[in-house]
Amino acid sequence: MTQPVLAVRDLSTHFFTDDGEVKAVRGVSFEVMPGETVGIVGESGCGKSVTAMSLLGLVQRPGKVVHGEIMFKGQDLLKLSNEELRHIRGRDIAMIFQDPLSSLNPVLRIGFQIDEAMRAHDKIPKEDISHRGIDLLKQVRVPDAAHRIKDFPHQFSGGMRQRAMIAMGLSNKPDLLIADEPTTALDVTVQAQILELLRDLNEQTGAAIILITHNLGIVAGLCKRVLVMYAGEIVEEGPVEQIFESPQHPYTWSLLRSVPRIDSNRQDRLLSIEGLPPDLIDLPVGCKFNPRCPFRIERCFSEPPVIEDVAHAQRAACWVTMTRAYDEMGAANITDTSPGAASGVHPQGRRPAADLAVAPAETLSD
Amino acid sequence: MAVVAAPRSDQEFASSTLVREQASLWRDGLRRLRRNRLALISAVYLILLALVAIVALFWTPYPTSAIGVAQIYSGPSGAHLLGADELGRDLLSRLMAGAQISLSVGLLSAAIVLGIGVVVGLTAGYFRGWVDGVISTVINIFYGIPALLVALLMVTVLGRSFTNVVIAISATVWMDVARLVRGQTLSLREREYVEAARASGARSGKILFGHILPNALGPIIVAVTFVIPSAILFEAFLSYLGVGIPPPTPTWGAIASEGVQALRLSPHILLFPSIALSLTLLAFNFLGDGLRDAFDPRQKR
Amino acid sequence: MSFVVFLGIHSLPGNTFVNERVRGASLALLLHEYGLDRPVLVQYWDFISHAVQGNFGVSIVNRGEPITPIVLRELSVSAELGGAALLLTIGMGVTFGVIAALRQNTWVDYSLTTFAIIGYSVPSFVIASLGVLIFGVWLFDVTGGAFYYPLTWDGTYGTVVELTVPAVALGLFTSSLVARITRASMLDVIHQDYVRTARAKGVKNRVVVVRHALRNALIPVTSVLGPLIISIITGSVVIENIFGIPGLGKEFINSILSHDYNVTVAVFTMYALLVGVANLAVDLAYTVIDPRIRY
Repeated sequence: MTQPVLAVRDLSTHFFTDDGEVKAVRGVSFEVMPGETVGIVGESGCGKSVTAMSLLGLVQRPGKVVHGEIMFKGQDLLKLSNEELRHIRGRDIAMIFQDPLSSLNPVLRIGFQIDEAMRAHDKIPKEDISHRGIDLLKQVRVPDAAHRIKDFPHQFSGGMRQRAMIAMGLSNKPDLLIADEPTTALDVTVQAQILELLRDLNEQTGAAIILITHNLGIVAGLCKRVLVMYAGEIVEEGPVEQIFESPQHPYTWSLLRSVPRIDSNRQDRLLSIEGLPPDLIDLPVGCKFNPRCPFRIERCFSEPPVIEDVAHAQRAACWVTMTRAYDEMGAANITDTSPGAASGVHPQGRRPAADLAVAPAETLSD
Repeated sequence: MAVVAAPRSDQEFASSTLVREQASLWRDGLRRLRRNRLALISAVYLILLALVAIVALFWTPYPTSAIGVAQIYSGPSGAHLLGADELGRDLLSRLMAGAQISLSVGLLSAAIVLGIGVVVGLTAGYFRGWVDGVISTVINIFYGIPALLVALLMVTVLGRSFTNVVIAISATVWMDVARLVRGQTLSLREREYVEAARASGARSGKILFGHILPNALGPIIVAVTFVIPSAILFEAFLSYLGVGIPPPTPTWGAIASEGVQALRLSPHILLFPSIALSLTLLAFNFLGDGLRDAFDPRQKR
Repeated sequence: MSFVVFLGIHSLPGNTFVNERVRGASLALLLHEYGLDRPVLVQYWDFISHAVQGNFGVSIVNRGEPITPIVLRELSVSAELGGAALLLTIGMGVTFGVIAALRQNTWVDYSLTTFAIIGYSVPSFVIASLGVLIFGVWLFDVTGGAFYYPLTWDGTYGTVVELTVPAVALGLFTSSLVARITRASMLDVIHQDYVRTARAKGVKNRVVVVRHALRNALIPVTSVLGPLIISIITGSVVIENIFGIPGLGKEFINSILSHDYNVTVAVFTMYALLVGVANLAVDLAYTVIDPRIRY
């Protein structure tokens, strides 16, 4: 059996701000196989970007990785010194970012910035660097690469800038490419081109890709496997098709229902998720999704759910799971997705005590 | 996150946000200012200095031009706390009177600059078009010339007097405030509550002084605070070079300049006015920084 | 501009010869010799038509001495002082600003920031006077005359030693300003996405700071270079007078005090030219440092 190229165990990253400790990432564990494409989805602020930054030790003060293990090629990245980690960054693990304009240095030529990535490491022979820069730009389909390599970032269009970023990321033939919202700042047509490019490059170079996005459509287009993050935790993971077909966590379910789909049945109404993500300084007790979950039960307020197998290769952290919500709460025909709407469970103090006395099982039957 | 306001008429909405915005702005600002210890100490120092200057109007230990042969160049002593100068005049008395000159030059210039800045800036920002073009060009020309040298020439041409020094200083440092007011006006006139006021038929004057000016007040006050130390500095420069307010009026710059002549014998004549001047400028700069952090949060890092 | 100055200077009450107790017929003769009895506008035309050819006429106080060579020599002296102050300003200001930003909220940052505010508030003539006091008087006395710091320049141009104290006095204010701006813009730049990109590429930390952060942080600094140079020119007037440096600034005050109009106008014209050239140079520097700007 092949070894995972990256194995993250129990990663926690907190930000120590004046207002309190922001627990941005809490106990995240996942693995990435060589050449695999993994998506991490979630709303903004759910910790997906911080997770990515933690992998490369790019979390800035006041943030800090407080716990965990990041095994890459047999060594724990968290135990490396800054200088040792620097040799991994851009060489073995490369990263591209959301906004290609602000991510490229405005005063340096594109070619210089690509070459710089190679010159920072000695993986690529010195004499190959300059023509490899042009080859890379050609590979990411920048037209007239030999000339455009001398341009400054502001002379590139949005899509071309992101291509240049990808070229930069691939320059040292990394084992893993982390793409943080690579298409969010781009036009829809350009988005599709960039995704196609990433897919081709994945096949050609065999580099594993971690794609971070809030857009489920993009995950569907590129990834084999997906991790769903909510409030700093992974709440569900599994093969993309399987998750799309039968999501088990109510959050994943809501996310999927909030995306307009051409092929959806007409009775599937577009539903939004009510409420806001929780305050990461003062988290709810129990399941972090309970303030927004239509299917919550009493147990969700007392015990945080553990992530466990819900189907073959699919795991979710939920006491209810959607299978049960469909069977017992009529999730298929739900129109009201306000918190507790399907299960009738509301936090103490908000509803009369009589309501609370009703056993969840009885409520579920209506 | 978007907070949806209850439906109200535009006018009503505009005026109530305006009031709320301002009230909280001032309250927050004062709170932030109180936390800034350096700015507070500076304010206390400046208030004390102002008191000294007012006292000097009625009373100084000795008359500022009383000459005493006996104590020429005498160092600090019981009779003359800060010593005496080359004519035996009491240094403390002269410094007290100098504080009065410095503060009046600073405050008067700031007031004039505020007046010019508001009128010019509002005009340029509100009417835009060629009016703004002309005013902006003039502002840029003034930025391109060495202000102090022009002030120096102006005083030479107009004649050395207190009034002319103030005029010369105001004429060469007015641009900062004008440019700021212009910028504020340009951005504020696009705000919803100004649009609303305009839509409801308010006159230009009412919009300018009722809506735009009050909202630009924070940054304007901050900018004017910084005019005071530069005016004081300019005055001291001119006096030091011997082209400012003519003797025997005691100004800090002139006293320091006299001190340089007597450097070897009695350095106190140079030191005391220098210290007074530096502390005052420092205090105004600290206070200005504090005010900016407190009332102009956008500038904050 | 030159017209206003010219007109202003020539409308001054009294003239050069007032101080010299020249009366009656000999005064009229002198006035005529220097063309001062003609209408002001004619005088101005005469001045400007010669000035564009680089001829500023003759000094009236030093009867008939041509001004242009004097002013040019003084310009070079002032340029030496101003250049030294500018180098100091940029070198010291940028270095301290970067250090303060990299050590944000440590005692290094606090002391540098405080130092900058003091340097920003204490007028240059106070610093210069203190320099004279310390180096010229106290150190001389304390060492019993063994330490001798030349406070007035022996020759036309200052030696490195002679230059140091005046240049520091002149450059301290502007250095503080540059340090403040550099610190603020470094703090801003260091959190930019492209700095993160550079780190993610595995570029060495030193290279990230210099090539990626500082290079961009200097853009706002460049934008204040114009006002900075004006401030140095202004300050040099005072500094030259304190240290007796034979530059434009000393001549400027001298000519004003002695009503030598032609010299005053010539010096001021030189200053105006200097500012113009400096602004042009700054614009050029701007296009070099920021490729997004095109003229």
